[in-house]
Amino acid sequence: MANGTAKPTGLAFSRETFAKLTPAPFLQALLQQPDPIRPNGRSLDDFRTPTINTGSLSHSNGSAVVRFGDTAVVCGVRAEILLASNIPHPPSEDIYDNDVVERLGLLVPNLELSTGCSPDHLPGNPPSTLAQALSYRILSLLHTSNLIDPEDLRIHHGAPPTEDDLPDEGPKIVTKAYWTLYIDILCIALDGNPFDAAWAAVMSALQSTHLPKAWWDPDREMILCSPLAAEASKLRLRDLPVASTFAVFSTGSPLKQRREAESWVLADPDEFEEGVCTETVTAVVMSDGGDVGRIVRLEKSGGGAIGKAAMRRCVQMSQQRWREWQGVLNGG
Amino acid sequence: MGPDILHHPLNRADGSATLSSNLYSVLAAVNGPVEVQRRDELPEEAAVEVNIRPASGVGGPRERWLETVVAAVLRSLLLVHMHPRTLIQITLQITKAPSLTLKGAARDVAVLPSLINAAFLALADGGLPLRNTVAAVLLAVASTGEVREEPSEKELAGCKSVHGLAYDNHGDLLLSESAGSFDLVEWERIADQAEKACRAVMAPLNEDGVVTEGSTSSLPWLRQELTDKAQAAIAWREAT
Repeated sequence: MANGTAKPTGLAFSRETFAKLTPAPFLQALLQQPDPIRPNGRSLDDFRTPTINTGSLSHSNGSAVVRFGDTAVVCGVRAEILLASNIPHPPSEDIYDNDVVERLGLLVPNLELSTGCSPDHLPGNPPSTLAQALSYRILSLLHTSNLIDPEDLRIHHGAPPTEDDLPDEGPKIVTKAYWTLYIDILCIALDGNPFDAAWAAVMSALQSTHLPKAWWDPDREMILCSPLAAEASKLRLRDLPVASTFAVFSTGSPLKQRREAESWVLADPDEFEEGVCTETVTAVVMSDGGDVGRIVRLEKSGGGAIGKAAMRRCVQMSQQRWREWQGVLNGG
Repeated sequence: MGPDILHHPLNRADGSATLSSNLYSVLAAVNGPVEVQRRDELPEEAAVEVNIRPASGVGGPRERWLETVVAAVLRSLLLVHMHPRTLIQITLQITKAPSLTLKGAARDVAVLPSLINAAFLALADGGLPLRNTVAAVLLAVASTGEVREEPSEKELAGCKSVHGLAYDNHGDLLLSESAGSFDLVEWERIADQAEKACRAVMAPLNEDGVVTEGSTSSLPWLRQELTDKAQAAIAWREAT
């Protein structure tokens, strides 16, 4: 201005207004700097630091709260008994062991987003497409990664020998019931990346799950559980897979030349970045007996900016991320 | 040898196609651009809605997840900016699924390539403006480490990992869904093989309809289908 006052001119937008009006050019302006920095102050490869709190729900068999940045997820595991006599077509005893969990549906995850966690998901609404898709991805990943030994979920009973049994045979072991684990996941605050948070919450909740000692009572013909915490057994997990999500911001458009397109891979996207990026990559990595390289699930859709080289970088970052998570998951 | 394809089986939809591979049959219907509901309306682009119906029963969370994946791929394929404030609706009905009960990973990924291919053919049939041509393949890694293209039910049931990948005609990776147990080197090998297979399917033909590029076992069925369609469409002009 002519008299030199510090008042901003009407043509300059504040940072917030710029981000609200044109989110994509705003993000592009920040990323195009020689040292790209994201609107939330993180660098491209920066994940948010997770914190975990286990056993916070007193009435569930296992629970965990996972928080990173402004994304917070609560997960509770409730174990219920499924009587073998109630199964319409019981699986034969020789069925390949790992299939039992999937065939009988012994793991039931459900993710709830309608908690008022974000303005995009109104509280009290029926599960949105996103919530259903996330629930299914968690279920599918639980089955693919074979985390839980089906033996842990079986409630056996050694039938007393009858007269027609051969004398040198031991008591016959019959599976009288199965434990079904209802895994309820509530998103209490959402600032992007719900899948990583939900999966981490499921992992640490399952890790802290204790199943009470249960046995078949032949006289009352029912399953009885011991109320003693000392007799409860801890659920064992074979592995601790870790999910890492990346969003891809691309300036490519059908109105422009293909070679003019630039793209950036953003690790652990927040709500604002998810709104601008269409392409996402999720890699789930596990140790598989010491070797960190194993991938259980690799998902990518929404665009063509990520090729083989970018995918390699994403997987390598996920493997690094796996090491960081192990400390948090095992420490918590 | 490609899948069996039937063009325009539905006469009321704007575009439709049936695609039968050795594992799945999918009937795809496309309507668009049509009027959009107020809450789904986008000011600068067309909204893309995908509905998937399973072979039996009604859709559940699994179909919702498949819909989000297929919609994400089709959005990157359609020229959505050409029809702002409209809706492009794609319905995919699975009419045949493997009789063998497949295990989690295989069941989830195996259906995706068929869905993408069927949806693409229906979009082409409906004359919707597209950015690229896309082809999707399914690959399975057997427990011996051998990679199988378009595996059979048995191979799929006993495999170590399954991979569904889609490439466009520029060689850009539009979809990659892998599940099972594998490492990075294995995935890169599979990505290479998938790219080759996708390119072979779209490889240019010469005048006699013989493959000129790539000598893989798969014929350029997608190119052939699209060429046949285009020729049928301009037949009236040639006749006069």
